[in-house]
Amino acid sequence: MSIRRKVIGTLAIPVIVGVILEAICLAHGQNVITNMKSFNNFVVYTAIVMITTMALSINLNSGRFDFSLGSMAALSAVIGAKISYALLGGGSGSAYLMLAITIASGALLGLASGCVYVILRIPPIITSLGVTLIYEGVLYTITGGKYVMTEVQNVSMSGFVGTWIHAAVLILLIVVFVIFLFDHTRFGYNYNALRSGQKVAVNTGIREVPNAVGCYVVCGALMGIVGFLNAARNTNINGGQLNFGSIAIMFTAFLPMFIGSYIGRFSNDKLGYLLAAVCMSLLNSTFAVFSNSITASVQSIINAVLLVVFLIYLNNEDLLTRLFVTRGKQAGA
Amino acid sequence: MKNNRLFKAIMIGGVLAGAMAFTSVQAAAADLKIGVLVADVSGEEAQGFRAYYENYIADNYDVEFVYTDALEDAAGEKAAIEKFVSQGCQAIISLSSSDRATQLDTCEEYGVYYAIASGVLDDELFEAYKGYEYFAGQVGPSNATEFEAGVKMGEFFKEQGVTSVAMYGAFIPNPMHVFRAAGVIAGLGDTYGGTNDMGGMIGQIFADQKVDPAKVEGDVELCAYLQGYGDTTTDEINAVVAKEPEAFLSVGMATTFFTQILNEAGIPFADIDSFTEANGAAIKEGQLVYLAGKYSSSIGPVFALIKNAVDGNVIRDEEGNAPSFSQGYLVATDGASFDEYYVADNGDTPIYDKETLDTIIGEDVTYDDVKALVEAN
Amino acid sequence: MEAGSEKTKQLLITLLPVLALAVLFILFCTFVKAKGYRLDIYLKTIFNQGVVLAVVATGAIFIYTLGSFDISLGAATLFAATVGVLTYNATENFPLMILAIFGTAVACSLFSSILASAFHIPAFVTTVAMLSVLSAVSAQIITTKGGALGGIGIPKTLVKPLDNPPFKITLLAIFFLVCFFVFQLTKIGRRQKFIGGNPVCARLTGIPYNKYAIIAFTMAGIGVGLGAFLTLVYTPSVTTTTASGIGMNIFVAIVFGGMPISGGARSRIHAALIGGFSYILLNNILELALEGSSAYGITQIVSAVFFLAVVCVTSMNYRTDLLPR
Repeated sequence: MSIRRKVIGTLAIPVIVGVILEAICLAHGQNVITNMKSFNNFVVYTAIVMITTMALSINLNSGRFDFSLGSMAALSAVIGAKISYALLGGGSGSAYLMLAITIASGALLGLASGCVYVILRIPPIITSLGVTLIYEGVLYTITGGKYVMTEVQNVSMSGFVGTWIHAAVLILLIVVFVIFLFDHTRFGYNYNALRSGQKVAVNTGIREVPNAVGCYVVCGALMGIVGFLNAARNTNINGGQLNFGSIAIMFTAFLPMFIGSYIGRFSNDKLGYLLAAVCMSLLNSTFAVFSNSITASVQSIINAVLLVVFLIYLNNEDLLTRLFVTRGKQAGA
Repeated sequence: MKNNRLFKAIMIGGVLAGAMAFTSVQAAAADLKIGVLVADVSGEEAQGFRAYYENYIADNYDVEFVYTDALEDAAGEKAAIEKFVSQGCQAIISLSSSDRATQLDTCEEYGVYYAIASGVLDDELFEAYKGYEYFAGQVGPSNATEFEAGVKMGEFFKEQGVTSVAMYGAFIPNPMHVFRAAGVIAGLGDTYGGTNDMGGMIGQIFADQKVDPAKVEGDVELCAYLQGYGDTTTDEINAVVAKEPEAFLSVGMATTFFTQILNEAGIPFADIDSFTEANGAAIKEGQLVYLAGKYSSSIGPVFALIKNAVDGNVIRDEEGNAPSFSQGYLVATDGASFDEYYVADNGDTPIYDKETLDTIIGEDVTYDDVKALVEAN
Repeated sequence: MEAGSEKTKQLLITLLPVLALAVLFILFCTFVKAKGYRLDIYLKTIFNQGVVLAVVATGAIFIYTLGSFDISLGAATLFAATVGVLTYNATENFPLMILAIFGTAVACSLFSSILASAFHIPAFVTTVAMLSVLSAVSAQIITTKGGALGGIGIPKTLVKPLDNPPFKITLLAIFFLVCFFVFQLTKIGRRQKFIGGNPVCARLTGIPYNKYAIIAFTMAGIGVGLGAFLTLVYTPSVTTTTASGIGMNIFVAIVFGGMPISGGARSRIHAALIGGFSYILLNNILELALEGSSAYGITQIVSAVFFLAVVCVTSMNYRTDLLPR
């Protein structure tokens, strides 16, 4: 594939999405991004979507369906918030301390989740159901089901998401880290081998269990960051998410995951997730612009339709290409 | 072999759990056992209500309260009532409103007294059920009171001379929030879709599923509006801040979601919530300038209605129907007025303390006695 | 000797879900009696809580057997009930209401299936999309039509005569027997298991996936319709949260009943029935054992641990050297 084609293929979707959404906004006398605050939110939301998508895809690409992502994000954020508040009382440096603790606790929760999977040796979709219920139960027990607010409402936290720089740095670090880990280390080679041929990979001596547990740890740490960013952005954490109340976050990552995989054909799937997250964030900002006319229900429907339409295209690309090529030839003749 | 061991372990676990059931210590049974239906177990208001019943009422009267988990739908409410009946509850107090009609029918079927302590029946439903034998009555803000709470909030800011406000519609089309939002618009002196009549406004808001700023007309401009809570909320609230409204008027939950953002932006705001410690901080140190709320012991009269009914004195109005008392909101506009209600209604000294409640508990208590007390507080 | 012991072990593990249900039932009765509560009312309530989950999950077994899953069944139940209420309120015709409920439920289910089949997209993704769409549309209808009441409903007198255990047990039994017949005694069930166990092999032997997927989703749709109807019989009103818990509980029920989520030859039509009631009983036992609001979280933790333990034991026969996916 030529470099030109790679560049065009990589950037086509985000550019087209950006142009269409900006055109829609301009037609109504608005802009997708209206001011610096709006831009800050745009970058922070991009980070949230990108990291969630990466966390979802790491296990899903290996055939491991994980419902526990949302519960890991919320529980690790609560642990981080409680500990950092106990240590610094919401003072200077609280956000950085909370971020560090949240990543660590997210990784530990991921480790626990991975251990349940490899020890019980039952399908990951089932272990994730159990783990989700357990984490939601722990979350509820710690918070008493209340919103956690005092611990996350301070200048340090609002300052963290008050500028796009922190989120941009996080995006950069995570993209570099994930590309390095999954494309340039033995862990990553093993992961890719296991992903494309589990039995063959195991027969060649790749140790599947540590690799799977490692994936869960990385997912947990990533969801810890998501939990932290959500807490800082929303200025609260909902502690009352029982009976699978936390799983919705997973569904928001499906569309960017499929878009990212498509973009990845032209460059790298991790970069694809970033660009897909940019698209989703642009869409989110557009929804915000039209929030008075597009209700939450309509937003849900639009997202669902986009997901289905994109997948129809993705899974019927050859058919559509053949169709258009044939018509083109007929027209030419 | 290993499998057999695990299997045995599970079976032994089952037997042990059974033994636990037999040996579980049961508290001495109280004279009166009341089941409480709750939809919200985590809100500050819900927890305040619960603390009042469990820590104050239960200590001062021979009564045991049993609570549900957070009820999600009508089926959950009906199942909860049936379980309460099975557990020997003589009465049900409802703080959950998915399907009040089914709650009433179920209580009537099983012969347990039923009272509503939050979000009263609308007029049509009340007419249909007020004659039920086991309906002990309802005490709480009526839809008209919700509208009135909104009106007072709007008037407060109009009197301050604001010309441009932003509004948070909370979870419209939740009926309570629809009535409050309509009230705010009316209180500001504006019209919605050309009318300031309650019925006309709420009908349009239900149809629109939101407040449409384009339909708000009058001296005070509604420069921005948002509702709900989701991924776009942060963008929306920042868009509101960017429009620099003179005040931010919320019909619920703003103190949970937006206190920090509004404090940082320096925008005075109002909310209808409850008298909690966090809201105290917001009104004393932040930008919260108007808080309409209920106090924890406001559910005291409902307990009195239920206790009287179970003891044989079923209170009825002049026409022999279940009583319906509307309770207004208390309003705090500064730290001092906040403390007046917050401190007065705390721990061992609730506004509806034993001494006060005893005046409406007893075999000679009448409809007028209860009415007089509720209206006085 | 060794073979005999192995056989006994296999039998025990196969019977474990049934034994677990029996143990849970005895435990539940023991708890209720020990606390001095009325067992008759409690059992009726448990049945009412379990029956909707059981019928919807039994229909869903056909989808799970294919190795697919449908996360939108709870939302479809809500939507079918909503359309049913709208139909009755517009026509005051009860049979038409029932027809509308079943028609809507089957149409929703088939739409997911046809979308997935026609455009070659994973069925679970279409169901994720359907979950969003059906919930959003139902919410829009209910809140617009319900107004100040917050929900919509049909007259209670219409369904009150049907709100009794014998009627519901009869419906459950009929539906279960139909499903049992289709699943166990016709080639449909056998072929669906074949597809779920090895889709490539099934395709190569000439079994058309799409045809059996459509049958599976139709059966699931009938289950959803019945679930929506029973929901209305129990409480003749619909709010935006009606049946909200069913979607995920189906997973738990099916797995609790001893069926692998990956479907295939080990699929069992009775899994949902047993698992659904087991799960409801377990939650009620924990509710009785751990009273108090702080226990809600702990109840869920204990319930999840028990769930994982049961699944772990019931899947012992099927362990492989590779990690399952």
